[in-house]
Amino acid sequence: MPVPIPLTDEERAVYEWQIWVDDFREAGQEKLKGASVLVSRVGGLGSVVAYELAAAGVGKLVLAHAGNVKPSDLNRQLLMTHDWLGRPRVESAEQRLKELNPRLQIVAVPENVSEENAERLVSEADLIVDCAPLFEERFAMNRQAVLQKKPIVECAMYDLDAQITTVIPGQTACLSCLFPEKPPEWRREFPVFGAVSGTVGCIAAMEAIKVLAGFGEPLANRLLTFDLRSMRFSKLAIERKPNCPVCGEPA
Amino acid sequence: MSVRIHIPPTLREWAGNADKEVIVQPGSVQDALIQLADRHPAAYRGVCDETGAVRRHVNLFVNDSLVRTPADFERTLSPGDELFIMPAVSGG
Repeated sequence: MPVPIPLTDEERAVYEWQIWVDDFREAGQEKLKGASVLVSRVGGLGSVVAYELAAAGVGKLVLAHAGNVKPSDLNRQLLMTHDWLGRPRVESAEQRLKELNPRLQIVAVPENVSEENAERLVSEADLIVDCAPLFEERFAMNRQAVLQKKPIVECAMYDLDAQITTVIPGQTACLSCLFPEKPPEWRREFPVFGAVSGTVGCIAAMEAIKVLAGFGEPLANRLLTFDLRSMRFSKLAIERKPNCPVCGEPA
Repeated sequence: MSVRIHIPPTLREWAGNADKEVIVQPGSVQDALIQLADRHPAAYRGVCDETGAVRRHVNLFVNDSLVRTPADFERTLSPGDELFIMPAVSGG
């Protein structure tokens, strides 16, 4: 977990409103300043996660996302802009985050997470937020998060529905406990509004802030699901699988 | 009063229409799945494989409790209970 770093007077002024939060205070802000978060893809979910973490004063963000900005990104990927069409997504994300928080340290990686780079990328962070669309990326990150004992916030959506949980390795169900296999028919592109991915992203960012600063009740062994058509929210109980190939006890 | 099965968006097209909910008669979780199979066989196949086992990318919940063990599947659903089908989805 992060090593707290004392705040400057400028930072006290910027974060004044959240430092007023009773169980967070300046000690919590110092932990965020010392923290590093890996955000896997800065698309509809990850853009909002990264923006909220940058605004909240997390010290370092590692952003992993391949490819260039496309027109179909712009309904939800709030760190991408029209004037950046055809240019690298992580560069657009880095520029916009720096406009918001010039103190933020950013490691912009123009790659998606894979089996080849997951170990290195996860090792650079205190916590991971999984915003990736492909299960291969998600399972690779989950394995490394468990191996390196790093908390990982898992977020997902489809249409107006969403799912979020926070994995604390050794204590809670991991992604593979919950879903040992990917859906065979899963497609990288699917129906969603930016307001849905943004809602999930804000909740995921708040989970990251709580875990890093050590306050509140993260979604540990709880799967938050919601349907923004009906505005129904549910917190479902989940559990570790003793025989999980990723986090289960060796036989 | 009956039991409500919530059909997620990924399975709705399999259900043959846009129904978000299927109403079934009280019984066990297994009974509820059999009623789903009768009414919406394609949606049922999205939940259970050819052996009747729940697919590995799907979880079922009764109200807020995970259905995992054989005893969970035999659990009697009371009128007003809700069965949630929760397939894996992702970010993007």
